[in-house]
Amino acid sequence: MNDRYDSVILHFIARVFLVPLILVFGVYVLLHGELSPGGGFQAGAIVAAALLLVRLALGNRQAALRIPQGLLIWLACIGLGIYMFGGILPLILGYNFLDYAPIPVDWYNQFAGEARTARSMGILIIEIGVFFGVAAVLVLIYDLVAGSSRQ
Amino acid sequence: MKVLMFEFLAVLIALLIWASADLPDRADPEAPANQHLSPDLTRLTESDVVIPNLVSAILADFRSYDTLGETFVIFTAGLAVVLVLQRSRRVREEENPDE
Repeated sequence: MNDRYDSVILHFIARVFLVPLILVFGVYVLLHGELSPGGGFQAGAIVAAALLLVRLALGNRQAALRIPQGLLIWLACIGLGIYMFGGILPLILGYNFLDYAPIPVDWYNQFAGEARTARSMGILIIEIGVFFGVAAVLVLIYDLVAGSSRQ
Repeated sequence: MKVLMFEFLAVLIALLIWASADLPDRADPEAPANQHLSPDLTRLTESDVVIPNLVSAILADFRSYDTLGETFVIFTAGLAVVLVLQRSRRVREEENPDE
């Protein structure tokens, strides 16, 4: 799966239409996790699918969205770190681990003009953490199994 | 030995089918699972979490320890794949240094 598949239609559709659409839809699923079906796991899988589609259609060498392996491992670690931050922040503010009640949301509500509760803010934080972990690990596994580039 | 195993499996299947007759129907409001936990979680989601998606509220708020564990499992799986495949690649390079 390392070689470029020579088809103009496939390249055009993948680069111009499918991959941007899938990426935007993945972010939408992530940010709408509390309002509609979705969440961190699903959004991570969708974004990873977009990145794998680039690799499958254009070949690993020409793929524009090639990410170094070390950066992928760092992204997965950062995702876990965001999750743990969402858990430890209430601990610092005097509540239980992963109890989102004391997370400050007033500045965010003023900034974005929403009426978000502290608990939905905490859910969003840990969904973002899960998103980075899942997306990075999926792309990492594909790059290791099928990738030709030596990092 | 094989006959014994089939007999054992037949008895087990009969036992399970007999026991499944006592299980409550799905979506039975009188079932124990729907009497204690579900109303509490629904009520707490409406009063405390205030988000419309009940699944997200359970996954990321009531059961967030569980989700933390799942994320750690995925992360560990990724690290294990990195360790295994990188080692095999290094061994292959030592065997054929020309590649």
